[in-house]
Amino acid sequence: MATALMQGSDAVAEACVAAGCRFFAGYPMLPFTDLLESMSRRLPEVGGTCINVESEIEGVNMVLGAAAAGARAATGSCGQGIALMQEAIAEAALNEVPFVVFNMARGQQDYFQCTRGGGWGDYRTITLAPKDVGEAVEHTQLLFHLADQYRAPVILYGDYLVAHTYMSVDVSPRQYGPLPPKDWALDGSRGGTGKSRQIWTWAMGKANDPGPGPDAHWRRLAEKFDSIAGQEMRHESYLADDAEYLVVSFGTAGPFVDYVVDELRAEGMRIGSFRPISLWPFPERALAAAASAARKVLVYEVNAGQMIDDVRLSIAGRCPVQFIGGVSIDGSGMRQGDLLEVGSIRQRVLAAVRQEDER
Amino acid sequence: MLLTGIGGQGVQLCAKALALAAVDEGRQAMLSAHYGGEMRGGQTEASVVVADRDLRALTILPSAWSAFVMHHEYWPPVKARLRPGGVVVTNSTLVSAPDLAYDSGQVIEVPAGAIATELGAPMSAGFVLLGAYGTATGLVATESLIEAMRRLVPPYRTQHVAANEAALRAGAAAVDAECAPAWAQPAGRPG
Repeated sequence: MATALMQGSDAVAEACVAAGCRFFAGYPMLPFTDLLESMSRRLPEVGGTCINVESEIEGVNMVLGAAAAGARAATGSCGQGIALMQEAIAEAALNEVPFVVFNMARGQQDYFQCTRGGGWGDYRTITLAPKDVGEAVEHTQLLFHLADQYRAPVILYGDYLVAHTYMSVDVSPRQYGPLPPKDWALDGSRGGTGKSRQIWTWAMGKANDPGPGPDAHWRRLAEKFDSIAGQEMRHESYLADDAEYLVVSFGTAGPFVDYVVDELRAEGMRIGSFRPISLWPFPERALAAAASAARKVLVYEVNAGQMIDDVRLSIAGRCPVQFIGGVSIDGSGMRQGDLLEVGSIRQRVLAAVRQEDER
Repeated sequence: MLLTGIGGQGVQLCAKALALAAVDEGRQAMLSAHYGGEMRGGQTEASVVVADRDLRALTILPSAWSAFVMHHEYWPPVKARLRPGGVVVTNSTLVSAPDLAYDSGQVIEVPAGAIATELGAPMSAGFVLLGAYGTATGLVATESLIEAMRRLVPPYRTQHVAANEAALRAGAAAVDAECAPAWAQPAGRPG
């Protein structure tokens, strides 16, 4: 299929439609609003439903309901609104209802929110962080698949640059292989038989049809999330093999770091980059391998230092890990500030390298 | 290309028309927009990257070959990112070449505001400058810009299409074709 010039939000909406998403509910909040608007235009055209809800809590719970009935469904906001959705996301993870949450974030300060979550219980959320609009389109389709494959809520961690940049992209449907049947969906077919299906975090069933109960249910879920962690790690590394310095970044910061790596390579420095594509599961083995020749691992993220925890866990003390990111918000509050620029990244990398040389 | 102006001058619409026209001509394009919530009178900036092969560019450009200047208010950060030998197409009704103090490249003055006013459509000054930019650089054909503009103007604004078309043509007529050719630039690194 030919590519078309699309705004990131429109492209992600097209990818949702291509993936079969037919229910979307959300509350406007920049930079997520464009995706909600786009879904409100597109879903009615394909027989779907988009609801501009009264609050994020209402939106995520509607999506939980639609997904429990078997629909491909999604919601979204920016981190501030997704904060309100944490209870429902945790419940969905524990009662195994699949849907996609789009975090069109105002920056990179939601890493903990995405990867650790704010609900209760032993749950995780697969989180993919695209570097640009093209990857966001691909991740969107993949996330609907992964959600159904594992019966779990999953997150796309985008931002202003993903939501608002126009790029020529291909939004044709992608195939990711067969999925298990949704034989758990609440379709009403067993109403009145005494055997109606249940979706329940405690999995206790009914007197005449007992479930496994919370102990067995939650142990099985813990095993499920462990197994996801083993299978769904994704990453990209660049010129890492002989790199003395490895810069780790995520999402839209990645291409900026790669640009600096190219510049410094051209000046003779052995430097490379590593970008987790899945923030959870964090690609720890791949990072450890990419850093095998490193004297120092540098962590660039536009926040006070969140992903650095996962980097340290992956490197496990084999070499120093230094934070070179920081908090930086544009005056509008809607996007990253001046720190996300080639010049300041280069400056911080060089300062960290000098420090190492002086040691 | 970096486009700068103040909210209300149509900078964002011009950027979209340029990117769409380029894609329609078989190029690849990326457009990043930056504008505040206050809109009218506030900072509005956009960057457009056009490539004749796989496009690889940053969403916040570290440097650029050319600039499209509708207003001087937010010009300094744009100037700081222009590469030596760059091209600036400026709305000289508001910002003349001496105001820009840009001496490391080529400045093309187009009295876009005055031309648009003569056409009876002062709101279309951005399209005058865009028509001039397209013709001076040869980046895209005027006809492609007109077609892209038609598709971008929302249904409740179609009364402006004719004036916008006239503006694009007037801008194109105000400069020498390819006096600052875009495609003759040596293939540099992306961004």
